[in-house]
This record gives sequence, structure tokens and C-alpha cells, in this order.
Amino acid sequence: MTITNYDPRILKAPHPVPGAPDNWKRFFSFNTDAKVIGIQYIVTSLFFLLVGGLLAMIVRGELITPPADLVDPSVYNGLYTMHGTVMLFLFLFPILNGFNNLLIPTMIGAPDMAFPKLNAAAFWLVPVFATVLMGSFFAPGGPASSGWWSYPPMSLQNPLGHFINGQFLWILAVALSGISSIMGAVNFVTTIIRMRAPGMGFFKMPIFVWTAWAAQTIQLIGLPPLTGGAVMLLFDLSFGTSFFRPEGGGDPVLFQHFFWFYSHPAVYVLVLPVFGIFSELFPVYARKPLFGYKFVAIASFGITFLSMIVWAHHMFYTGTPNWMRHIFMFTTMLIAVPTGVKVFAWLGTLWQGNLRLNTPMLFCLGGLFNFIFAGITGVMLATVPIDIHVGNTAFVVAHFHYVIFNTIGFGVFAGIYHWFPKFTGRMYYEGLGKVHFVLTFIGATLNWLPLHWAGLLGMPRRVASYDPEFAIWNVLGSIGAFMLGVASIPFILNMVSSWARGPQAPPNPWRAIGLEWLLPSPPPAENFQDDIPTVISEPYGYGLGHPLVEDEEFYVRRSLEA
Amino acid sequence: MTTTTPGKGPNIGAIVIITIAVGLNLVIAKMMANWSYSWFPPQASSAAPYVDDLFALETGIGSFIFFGCTGFMGWVLLFNRAGKYDESDGAPIEGNTKLEITWTIIPLVTVFLIATYSMNVNMKLQTLGPKHKYAIGTDPTTLIANDPKADIGPIDVIARQWSWEFIYPNGVRSSELHLPVDQRVNFRLISEDVLHSFFVPAFRLKQDIIPGSIISYSLTPTKEGRFRLRDAMFSGAYFSQNQTNVVVESEATYADWLKKTAGQPLQPGLDPGRSLYDRRLARGDKGWATVPPAPPPMVNDPGDPSIPHDA
Amino acid sequence: MTAVNPEVQLNHTPGHVKHDGHNMTGFVIFLCSESVIFLAFFAGYAVLKLTAPQWLPDGVDGLEVRMPLINSVVLVSSSFVAYGAEVCLHARKLWRFRAVWLLTMAMGSYFIYGQYVEWSELSFSLSSGVFGGLFYLLTGFHGLHVITGVLLMGLMLFRSFKPGNYDKGEMGVASVSLFWHFVDVIWILLFLLIYVWQ
Repeated sequence: MTITNYDPRILKAPHPVPGAPDNWKRFFSFNTDAKVIGIQYIVTSLFFLLVGGLLAMIVRGELITPPADLVDPSVYNGLYTMHGTVMLFLFLFPILNGFNNLLIPTMIGAPDMAFPKLNAAAFWLVPVFATVLMGSFFAPGGPASSGWWSYPPMSLQNPLGHFINGQFLWILAVALSGISSIMGAVNFVTTIIRMRAPGMGFFKMPIFVWTAWAAQTIQLIGLPPLTGGAVMLLFDLSFGTSFFRPEGGGDPVLFQHFFWFYSHPAVYVLVLPVFGIFSELFPVYARKPLFGYKFVAIASFGITFLSMIVWAHHMFYTGTPNWMRHIFMFTTMLIAVPTGVKVFAWLGTLWQGNLRLNTPMLFCLGGLFNFIFAGITGVMLATVPIDIHVGNTAFVVAHFHYVIFNTIGFGVFAGIYHWFPKFTGRMYYEGLGKVHFVLTFIGATLNWLPLHWAGLLGMPRRVASYDPEFAIWNVLGSIGAFMLGVASIPFILNMVSSWARGPQAPPNPWRAIGLEWLLPSPPPAENFQDDIPTVISEPYGYGLGHPLVEDEEFYVRRSLEA
Repeated sequence: MTTTTPGKGPNIGAIVIITIAVGLNLVIAKMMANWSYSWFPPQASSAAPYVDDLFALETGIGSFIFFGCTGFMGWVLLFNRAGKYDESDGAPIEGNTKLEITWTIIPLVTVFLIATYSMNVNMKLQTLGPKHKYAIGTDPTTLIANDPKADIGPIDVIARQWSWEFIYPNGVRSSELHLPVDQRVNFRLISEDVLHSFFVPAFRLKQDIIPGSIISYSLTPTKEGRFRLRDAMFSGAYFSQNQTNVVVESEATYADWLKKTAGQPLQPGLDPGRSLYDRRLARGDKGWATVPPAPPPMVNDPGDPSIPHDA
Repeated sequence: MTAVNPEVQLNHTPGHVKHDGHNMTGFVIFLCSESVIFLAFFAGYAVLKLTAPQWLPDGVDGLEVRMPLINSVVLVSSSFVAYGAEVCLHARKLWRFRAVWLLTMAMGSYFIYGQYVEWSELSFSLSSGVFGGLFYLLTGFHGLHVITGVLLMGLMLFRSFKPGNYDKGEMGVASVSLFWHFVDVIWILLFLLIYVWQ
């Protein structure tokens, strides 16, 4: 009957014995279970969300009044640089890798990742480079303060002349983060290609797996040039080369190409899994199949492809020749097409559904609302003549926060609430969740909507002080930012108390369709172990009345008995 | 469940509702487009009206899409909510290939049209004020008359950490940029240290200044007044102080000013980062590392930053 | 969602999947990613060469090609030798495999030695303008890969003495061999870029 060919390394890995009581110590060990690593990623990154949020609130505190009066401008520059770096490299990338770890193996019916040790090593690099980055606050001269772009020659100035300086540590941390991400990406892609459950062809994979795959493909192609650029920057900073130093014949604009070749697609690395989360959640809470599953799946790779050929839209006003600006304007606007396919598919999924507005659904709807807005300002920014006016102003800040927090952040929260019962075995408190949503939505809107007008009126980004005519927009923005700080309280309260003493979660509290919901909550180590279901239907068969896998009742009963 | 039912014949109710909704949305989109003109500073260059028109067009299209989609979401939220104990499934619609192809093609055509139109606007802007980036190491003395259509210039714009200096063809130097109205002026944008950006919101124009390169840049102011010139590319500690004014005045006033200023002795020009840096030094040089501000440029007319600017 | 009816006897056959042999998949994915970093450096080299006002440092007329060409021939032919070793291993001629594998390592080491000699005889340094920096960056980064390759081959040689090492296939040797071909192909491109395009 059953001869399973497990990789013996997986079986020998230090899992807690199945059935043994959970031990909190496993979260602090070099555990190779993807579900443990996933939670390690998510908790670590939520901690850094608080760090980055605190930095943001100091930045917004400075900006609540026109003059530079709260902190010295040099400190302000360091704070906003670190805010961006922490939020990207220590909050968003790790938290989405956490989702990848939790969801990819369970959704495709794999016992673990393809390379469990590599997976654990990739995670443990996060605390390492986090320490490097946080340590840079104590470097002579303070942390990096040239923005997360680190454009030379500004980033090469090194005023105090020390070899170990904030910028040096920053580049080191970013390089380590890149290595960690590459390790993760190799692992995720291999797992998706090789370890799907029997019967799960590519067009039976859940959309989250599609989007994670598309996103990790970007990591594999995009991160190396960034690393190359970072290495060259490091050599310029510390070893006397002049790749980007104009006085030595170098070209500062070349760095911008390296940087944006990765850092624009990086946004899609973040947003694609969130599209996946939206695509998972809307069908569950609308009780309907995902509208146009195949289109949505293929659109993910459409975005991956286009994301590789749009980077120079960040450089419309750097002296880029006109033909290049026009090409990049066209490619950038084309991204609206696959993205539009997804947005319309979600709207189609909602149509004639039976909507249940619990916290994850509210965050999804809020995220979609904000994303439609962000997409429209995105097309405006892609338009060369408009970008020449609003580029590098508060309008850009508003636009990308609408993407990165109001869409991606919302999607992340939705995902946390939705899969919380599955992976902790506890239910969260709905009331606190709704309070969290309301505060977050109002705070986020108040924070970033007004900044669009400040930007249109000509307020540059990254300023420590500004002319008084921009005060009203900034006061509103700062109030919103503080409100977001307050919104974290119900969230933390909810997560901590629910995990500690929330009601026991059933295997499938949302009556969702998907392999992960056929597992007990929390799933045992090795997930389905040596009895993996055979997939026979497309995902999201709500209301269609056909089972997802062969012998579905057996698995449902087994999950209930566990 | 909504009232719309899939049937063979046309559903009069649905058509009426959709028509009203689309009509209303069109009206709102038009209003948003009109309103968008008020979100900008005054139009003070020949480029500004083009930018504002393009922005209004995109605001209109964007508003139509935004209110269309969110209106749809609102409708669904109002009429497709499940009751508290309703655990039934929604309509099992898996997709509609025709509809999906439609909503792939329509955005494709729309963005193609927007991009083509924007490209034409950009070409138009290029004829209003061309720019040319000269490669690193180009000899600046070879750049005379690189915009033959310019009435004034070339005026050298020198950006530093953190001050602006303007050198006029007759050798006059100033800290505020004086320009005659309705005259095409050509600049040579030069940076002596790091990246800066020449950004005048009222002109709707922005150009990064790359150290090691010289950029020839032309524009035509069309409105008299004092407009802010801001550094828009992050340039270090006192980046946000690095702003000055563009004084657009009548041709006669400009000529007078040039003649009068030529006779004035050189004196330290505006150096907006200095006072904060001095404050920092007075407090014991606390804070994170920064390069000191460059010495103030020596100019004939430092200008007066206390006069309020128009935009 | 299926309703659970505990009364019904379930006739169930567990499904299973083969979860082995994806090391090669992962390694190929990694190599694809790794090749992009070289492409980025090559692109940077080309851009700077085409735009830099002063390309070669003062007093440098160009690079001597003869020595590096010999070096290249050795490195590129070592790829074929590595392939030969793989064939021997496949035929389970272990000692012949070890000998040929060792020859590959020797050729790789000769290449590194040749690089070292070339570096030590050059009249410019890392900080000699754009060209100096790029030259040392590219050749150094590639040299690191060659050293890694030789070390990995050493590891494979060592492991070939473990009894039963090839019971589950020759994945390790195949991966290292693939890596070696990758390093060689990169070198050919690099040689064309730096030495031929002067």
C-alpha cells in the first residue's frame, strides 16, 4: 500500500515528537519545522513593526510643526532612513516569508520545505542582520542617514572617516538580508515545483502559492543586481574605488539603475503574496468561487515579468533620455492591466456573494479599497510630465504608503487573523479585531490621504522642516500616524491573550476549502505525514458541491479527531 | 441576494440602475477633474498648463474607476451581506471568460491611450524647454549656446550642500534667481558635491543635478511673482533648508536689477543651513554625523528670504 | 467542505508523494540567480566603459592577453575533464574518477595561481579609477567562485571514500560539476568583456 520516500533528513530533523505537548522553547531554537519557522518570522517581524512604527512616530512628531525643532535634522535623517529600512527588511520581507513558511507546505500538502535546514538558517540570519542594523545606532556618527536608497555620492560622504560607520553597517545588513532572502527564495520555489500533493497540477494550486512563486521569482532575479550594486557601493565607501564617485570618473546614476532594478520589483515581491491573501480570503467570506481563477493565477506572472522592465520610472528627472522615459512610461502603465485583472476578479467574487464581515474580511475590503486608490495614483506617477512635478514630493510618500501599508499592511493583518486559528489552535477575539480594523483604517487614511495634496503643492519628501503653507496636511498626517500607533494596542492585546487563553479553534472555523483546512489546528509536525490527500478539483469550489480531494470525509474526520 | 436575475431578455431594472450609476459617476469624475486644478500652486511657466491638464484628465479617469469600483463594493456590502446565522454559499459563479477578456482589453487600451497622450505632452514640453545631459567630464566652456532659442542665458545654477548660487551671463551673482517674465531662459545646472534637484513647484518642473555632469535646461516663466525653488533630491543634513526664491519680474525690472546689482560688491549670499548648524555647534555638536555646510557663495545680491513667497 | 458522517465507513487509500531528489532543482535555481549578479556586474562594466571620461588609469595602455589566454584555455578545458570524471563515476570506476577529478582540481588551482601571478604583476590597483576597480572586482569575484569550486571538489573527493556514498545517486558530484561549468562559462564572457574588448 504505502511506501513513502521521505527525505530521511526531514524525519531526523529535531521536531517535537508528534503528540507531545508544545514547548515554547522550540521557537528559540534552530528548529527546522516550517510552521515553527513561520511563527518565528512573524513574531520577529511584528516586533520590528513596533520598532519601525516608533521611528515613524518620531518622524511624524518632527513634521507636526513646520520648523525642525524636535530633533536635530541629522538625527531626523537617520531616523527616517532607519524607519524605511526596518519596515522593509525587518517587517515586510520577513513577515511575508513567515506566511510562505506557514502556508506553502500546508497548502500544497508537503510535510515541510524542500530544504528545512536552509530554511532555518535563512530565518536565523534575520536576527543577525537585525542586530547589525540596530547596532548601527551606536556606530560613531550614528546610523545610515542617506535614505533607504543610499544614493551616492551622498551615501559615500562618511563625515567622521571611521571605517565602521552607519552606512557601512547598513550595507552589510542589506547584503545579509539579501542572502537570507535568496536562501528563502530557492527553498520556496523548489518546494512549490517539487513537493505538491498528488493530483495538484499548477492549475489546481491555491492563488497564494501562485503569487508566492511569482514573488520569489522576482527575488531570484532582482536581488543579485542589488547585491552587486551594494558591493560596489561598499567598495566605494570603504576601499577607495570610484564606481559611483564622479571625481574618480564614476557614474552616480549607475547606482540608481542597480538599486531600482531590484527595489521597484521589491514592491511586487511584497504585494503579490498580499494579492494571494486577498484571493484566498474573498472566496471564503463571500462564499463564492474565485472569479476567473486561471486569469488571476496567470496575471501573477504577468506582474512578475513587467516588474522587471519598469525600474527607470524612478529616474524620469535624473537626466534620462526621452526615448527611455517613454518606454518606461509604457511598461509601467502596462502593469495596470494584470493588476486590474485581479482587482476586477475580486470584485466579481464579491458580486452576489454571501458576505461575512469579520476582521479578516474587513481588512481585505479595506486593503482593496486603498489599493484601487493607490493604483490610480500609481498610473499618475508613471506619467512622465506629472511625475516630473510630483516626483520626490510628499505625493510619492503618500502613494507608496498607500501601497505598502494601506494595501500590503492590511493584507498582512487580514492574513494574520484568518490563519491565526489554524496555526495557533486558538480563536482570536472578534471585538478587539474590529476595533483594530477601525482604528487602523481611519488612522491610515488620515495619515496618508492629506499628504497627496502637500505633494501636489510642492512639498518635497524627506524634509525635516517645511514652509508653513504645508502645515495643515502634515498636522492631519501626524494625527493619523499617532492613531496607527494606538491601533497596535488592541492588536497586541488580541494576539497575546488569544494565543495564551483564547477558545480552542476547530480545524476549519471559517468553513474554508483548502488543504490547510483539512489539517488539525494547529497542524502536527509533518502536516499530512505519510498520508497526503490527492487533489481532484480546482481550489475555491464554494457552492459547487464537489470535494477538493479524494476521500475528503476521511481527512475531515481525522482532523476533528486529532 | 440582489434583484438582478440572469435571464434571456434584457433586465430593465438592472439597465436603469447601471445607467444611472454610470451617469452619476461620470458627473462626479468631471467634477473631480475640475476640482483638481485647485490642488496646484499657480501656473507660472509655459509647461504648467500642460501638466495640470494632463493631471486633470487622469484625475477624471481615475475618479471614474475609483468611484465605480468602490461604489460597486458599497452596493455589494449593502445588498449581499450574509445574515448572522446564514451559512449558505453565494452564487457559484466561477468566472466569465468574455467578461475577463473585456476587462483585460479595456484597461490595456485605456493605458495605451493615456501613455500615448502623455508621450505627446512630454514631447511638447521638450520643445518648450529642452534639456540635455552632458557626459561626465565634458568641458563646460564648450557648452555655449546649446539652446539657440533661449532669450536669456545660459545662467549657471550651482547647487551645494546647502545653498544655491546663480551666475548670470554678465557675471552678476545672486542667491535668489531673477528671471524676466515670458522670456525663454537657459540654465546650466551644476552640482559641486552630491545630487540635488532643481524644483520649482509653480513651474511644475524638476531636474536632478548630477555632480560631474552639466545639464542644460530651459524653461519659460509666464507669471510675475516670487516662487519657491526647492532642492527635491535628498542631499544631507540640512536638505530641507536648501530652498530659495525665483523672482519673476517684468523685462524692464529684470534689466534694471541686473544693471544695479552688477555695481554691488560681492558679499556672502544666503546660506540657509548655517543657522541650524551653528545652533548644533553651540549645543556641543550633538546629533549624528554630518558634513559641515559649504561656505556661503559670494554674490552681488544675496536677496531677502523674509519677503513672503507666492507659491 | 464536506459534512462529516461518522456512520459511514470510509474506504481510504493514503496518497503519497516522492520527496527526494530536489537538491538539483534547488541548485539550478540558485545558479540561475547567481548568474544574474554576474550579468549585473557585466552590465555595469559595459556602461562605465562606454561613458567614463577616462577609462584606463594613467600609464596603463591595456592588458596583456597572452598569459590570461593560456589560463583561460586551462580553465575551459578543465570543464571537459570534469565531465570525463562524471562519466567515470557513472561507470563506477571510482579510482579513475578520483584521478580525473583531482586533475580538474589541479587545473582549477593552476588558474587561481595564474590569476595571482597576473594580479601581482599589474601596474594599477583597486583604486586606480573606474577600470582598476572593475577589473579587480570582476576577476576577484569570479576567482572566489573558482576557489569555492575547487574546495567543493575537494569535499566531493573526500566523500568519495565514504562507503555507500553513491547509493542514492551522484547528486553532489553532478551539482559541483554543474557549478564548475557555470564558472567556466562566466569566465568566457568575462574574458571577452575585459581582455578582448579593449
